[in-house]
Amino acid sequence: MSQPSVRVSLTVNGVGYERDVDPRTALVDLLRDGLGLTGTHIGCEQGVCGACTVLVDGTSVLSCLMLAVQADGCEVATVEGLASGPELHPLQEAFWEKQGLQCGFCTPGMLMRAKEILASDPAPTAESVREAIAGNLCRCTGYQFIVESVLDAADRMAGSASESTTAPKS
Amino acid sequence: MTAPAERQHTKVTNWVGKSIRRVEDPKFLRGKGGYIGDRSLPGMLHVALVKSPYAHSRIVSIDTSEALKVPGVVAVITGQDALSLADPLPDFGPDPSKHTWRLLAAEKVRYVGEGVAAVVAQTRYAAEDGVAEVLVDYEPLDVLVDPEEALKPGAPLVHEALGSNIAYERTFTFGDVDAAFAEADLVVEDRLHWGRSGSQPIEPVGAIADYDDATGQMTIYENSLSFTSYLFMLAGTLKIPSHKLDLHPVPAGGSFGSKLWAVKPAAIAGMCSKAVGRPVMYMEDRHDALANNDHQGSDRIYYVTLGLKKDGTITALKLHSIEDYGAYIQFGVGHHGNALAQVVGPYRIKAVQYGLQAVFTNKNQQGAYRGFGSEVNNWMLERMVDLAARTLEMDPRDIRRMNFIRPDEFPYFIPTGNVYDSGDYEPVLDKALEMARWDYWQAEKIRLREQEGRHIGLGLVTCQERSVFSATEFWFWFDEPGAPVTSMPESVTIDVDALGNITATLYSCAFWGNSPETMAAQLIAEEFDVDPHSVNVVYAGTGQGLPATGPGGSRFTVMIAGAVEGAVSKIKKKAFAIASHLLEAAVDDLEWADGGIQVKGSADARKTLGDIAITAHLFKHSLPEEIESGLEASHVFDHPYTTMPSADRKDLGVFYPFMGHACHICVVEVDVDTGKVSFLDYVAVHDAGTMVNPRSLEGHMIGGTAQGIGSSLLEEFVYDENGDFQSGSFLNYLLPTSMDVPTIKCGHYETPSPYTPYGIKGGGEGGRMMAPGAIFAAIDDALEPFGVRVRHLPATPERIVEALEQAGH
Amino acid sequence: MKSAPFTYHRPRSVPEALELKHELGGDARVLAGGQSLMPMMHFRLAQPAHLIDINGLDELAFVRRQDDRLTVGARTRHAELLEAADAKSSPLLTQAVAWVGHAQVRHRGTVVGSIAHADPSAEIPAALLALAGEVTAASTRSTRTIAAADLFDGPFTVSLADDEIITSVAVPVSAAGTGTAFVEFSRIFHGFPVVGVAALVQLDAGVVSRASIGLCGMAANAVTADVSGLVGLPPTAEAVEAAARAAVADLEPPADIHGSTKYRKRVCIALIRRALDEAVTNAGGIR
Repeated sequence: MSQPSVRVSLTVNGVGYERDVDPRTALVDLLRDGLGLTGTHIGCEQGVCGACTVLVDGTSVLSCLMLAVQADGCEVATVEGLASGPELHPLQEAFWEKQGLQCGFCTPGMLMRAKEILASDPAPTAESVREAIAGNLCRCTGYQFIVESVLDAADRMAGSASESTTAPKS
Repeated sequence: MTAPAERQHTKVTNWVGKSIRRVEDPKFLRGKGGYIGDRSLPGMLHVALVKSPYAHSRIVSIDTSEALKVPGVVAVITGQDALSLADPLPDFGPDPSKHTWRLLAAEKVRYVGEGVAAVVAQTRYAAEDGVAEVLVDYEPLDVLVDPEEALKPGAPLVHEALGSNIAYERTFTFGDVDAAFAEADLVVEDRLHWGRSGSQPIEPVGAIADYDDATGQMTIYENSLSFTSYLFMLAGTLKIPSHKLDLHPVPAGGSFGSKLWAVKPAAIAGMCSKAVGRPVMYMEDRHDALANNDHQGSDRIYYVTLGLKKDGTITALKLHSIEDYGAYIQFGVGHHGNALAQVVGPYRIKAVQYGLQAVFTNKNQQGAYRGFGSEVNNWMLERMVDLAARTLEMDPRDIRRMNFIRPDEFPYFIPTGNVYDSGDYEPVLDKALEMARWDYWQAEKIRLREQEGRHIGLGLVTCQERSVFSATEFWFWFDEPGAPVTSMPESVTIDVDALGNITATLYSCAFWGNSPETMAAQLIAEEFDVDPHSVNVVYAGTGQGLPATGPGGSRFTVMIAGAVEGAVSKIKKKAFAIASHLLEAAVDDLEWADGGIQVKGSADARKTLGDIAITAHLFKHSLPEEIESGLEASHVFDHPYTTMPSADRKDLGVFYPFMGHACHICVVEVDVDTGKVSFLDYVAVHDAGTMVNPRSLEGHMIGGTAQGIGSSLLEEFVYDENGDFQSGSFLNYLLPTSMDVPTIKCGHYETPSPYTPYGIKGGGEGGRMMAPGAIFAAIDDALEPFGVRVRHLPATPERIVEALEQAGH
Repeated sequence: MKSAPFTYHRPRSVPEALELKHELGGDARVLAGGQSLMPMMHFRLAQPAHLIDINGLDELAFVRRQDDRLTVGARTRHAELLEAADAKSSPLLTQAVAWVGHAQVRHRGTVVGSIAHADPSAEIPAALLALAGEVTAASTRSTRTIAAADLFDGPFTVSLADDEIITSVAVPVSAAGTGTAFVEFSRIFHGFPVVGVAALVQLDAGVVSRASIGLCGMAANAVTADVSGLVGLPPTAEAVEAAARAAVADLEPPADIHGSTKYRKRVCIALIRRALDEAVTNAGGIR
């Protein structure tokens, strides 16, 4: 009952990959099982929870509803590509500072969506952020500290964030 | 045991009370959380379940021959096969031999979604292909979905061996109920129904099991299973010796109760691994999580009466509850223990009659969901207080104030025998009223109704949040319990290495999204004067482990604080002995200061923890004979304040003593055309004793409130009259989005517990325990011109419209 | 929840796609955005043996205004329509598309895909009916247009032959004096509508000269509702209310856990009223 494999070539976080996959493989399963990038999570497999959100050619998509083969020739960005080695991305710093996560399971999808939001709107309001993340469910936080985190990240990325008094010493 | 000695909390703290960044976050932020789905073992196989499409049906036969031909399928294990491979699952219900719960149904299925076979395959894709080819011959039976029908003779029997659908029934009285009602000038009565919703964390339950037949060792990784002392029961299910089960906890992507004791996934994975001789993963998908997760929330009908004097004093509470437990009853009626812990709320009600009938129906069973049955009691009681206020034409604030337990009455014993350790309710109410701008919204309500025909309402509740449960609440239901267990410990090992660096080992599946690493780190930092981020927190499997119960019942922070306190005390005792030798001073002449030990008042004669540690590790021969190498200690902290119930069960003893409190006020608008409820304002003021990390607690207040909103308006597991499960996807089981939850304005008040380290009380569940009552009160207030009272949770738009239509609109 | 196996095809041109559909017929489904089809496949409610992925057909990614028609190609994503300058010429279509799901869904899902999927709760089919639009159905045999009124044939069913693919949808450009609105009621923010109303009103000297309503969530598929009683009248509150009630009177929406028949009818009346009010306002009328 298995169908012919299809070759897919894609770039993830700047690294090129080539794989032969069962065409029904979801992009999220290729990322997680095929490429070992388990930062992108599966919550529902029906396109409601948004935990699987990644950027494909800069645009947020639900990677559970996209076939891996459809990402052929695409540039995919996942949470693993946010930090630069030891240095966290301003979004990650902001989520840490503002406690924008509790269990962390929705967080990668939130971060990627937040990255897209700030790319198109570098100075959002609390209302616009709250509406923009409506496609990403969080069961832990009630969303409020996530909104605060994104606003804090916007400040950091604009260069105007204040020093944290609670950041750990390195 | 009597009450522990009261503590004075006088120390000025450096770390306790600070909203530091969480210690656990960096790995999650980087996408390296190590959740169960992220892990694999070499050669690992995957399981998918064949699930029943029928609510109640005999399993006549299962034909696995076609499934075994599917590429990638390695084995198919039916419920019949499982009878010899695995014993029944651990069950804390009243009579497990008569309502036996197995990991796969064997003779009959009892709810839509119950597993009847497990397909083991190379990938989850192939396993599901195999599932599609398994042929099951079912013989449908009559279905039972209505819990009040379940009480009647002649109803279909969910468990024939029991001979009835009543798993448990008893009525308890506390205090002189007759006298209390005789004292009343009037009574208010109602029938209320709280419908079932559930945790549905974004990450479902998953387990990887690896059975080594050479050693007989079963290693399981799961995002669940604390209660480590009880894991011998899981070993029994898997038919292995109790000490050959090594369970490794893995961070959980949310739980809210549902991962407290998720035994079935671990058992399924374990059985399959043992059967096929390879590691096996069983990962619930969302459909499994909705239909077959065994953690649906309370589903309770109340017939309740409140006795009152005409000045608003509540004299008595009498209720009969019918609880629909679904097809099994793994935690017995512990949900009602949670209710009894705070059954009178914050009020000086002197007498309670509590009747309970727990029934079986053809639905997935209940488990644990944030509040574990106490949130339902809060909702019911506040509904009745509101009805009383309306009947007496009293302001909802006034009736609550006059019935509040007063600050000089603590510790206060409620009629059930449980104690409220400390509290001060008026300032919490006052703070909430001020933050909510009560008078402003009352005026706006009237103005918007008159000028724009809009329907705004204000709702206010004042409720308790019990924390840190005792084991007694699982068995005081019976005069002769089979296992009167009394321990629910939490343990920690603290190790100071040769350079003075500190590692804390936790022994339960502590991480659900609460902040156990941060809690442990802040508490240790407080004791050793180090930066919390320098404390390394790790987890041990049960194979090496100390007893641990994990999160649940808002217990974890208090219990880990006690464990840390004990371990620190042992380490400091040894450190003082070493320092005494190094400084050539008597122990009594030394004091701890600034990360080291010095001669009292003399900062020059001092040794740092690092100095002491290296000596302890490396320089044994320079120390007195009796001092062993190393500088670590473990401490098992048992529940600090539990007392036994009386033989006649008119006094259940102390079982949930650390009592938080909160006031929620919400302002809603109801669209009377559609019944939709939206929020205009929301205030939550909580007292959870001393806060360790206020920001973290606030996160739980807000998240819990969001879940309370979900349960109140959106979330419901629906089984239709044929028992067909209507909630098998997120299109039907509706979680609130960011736009469905308002900004929650949070306030804090601290009445420290006299019995816990630093006066900490548990606070993780409170948000969900308060919101439903406030929301329902606000809906009633908005629809007051129509004389509507909402009685059925969730208050879906259609139910609100029905209530309006019944009132003539 | 993983889909059943299928053979995957990615044609590089429209003729190639049509050849495939001709060869495979009803055993093949077209995959565009996948936002509706993939969830059904994950639940194994749909198990096509073949998928024809049209995402490579760039020639079908267009939003084109020509004279009095706005045409949208089958590869055009919801988000692309919302950003297309030409789309302003048919505001009702844009208003409906703006309600579809969340950002991530709109980034992949397609306007034509939503029409072809024909979910009875979906917004775009309702708007298409209100606009009296049409689709172009192509096969190796022929290319034909199907009016919206003839397209929807029951839940998740459109009246296409097994070898046909919808390659574009066309709607009329808004005439002068026209106002439109899309109003929906859903349980959660941007969840599937329980009931949705697409309304188009044309005013001529303060009097309704045309009124058209499309509904979702009120029948086995999207349907029109008869508000012809409004034509010739000024759009007063009484006239609008009467029209809303009359429009719903004969409908028998199927019940599910989000709404009984009776409840849906009540909500629908209120939503038609609100949609007509908003459309009248947008047409320049005073409400």
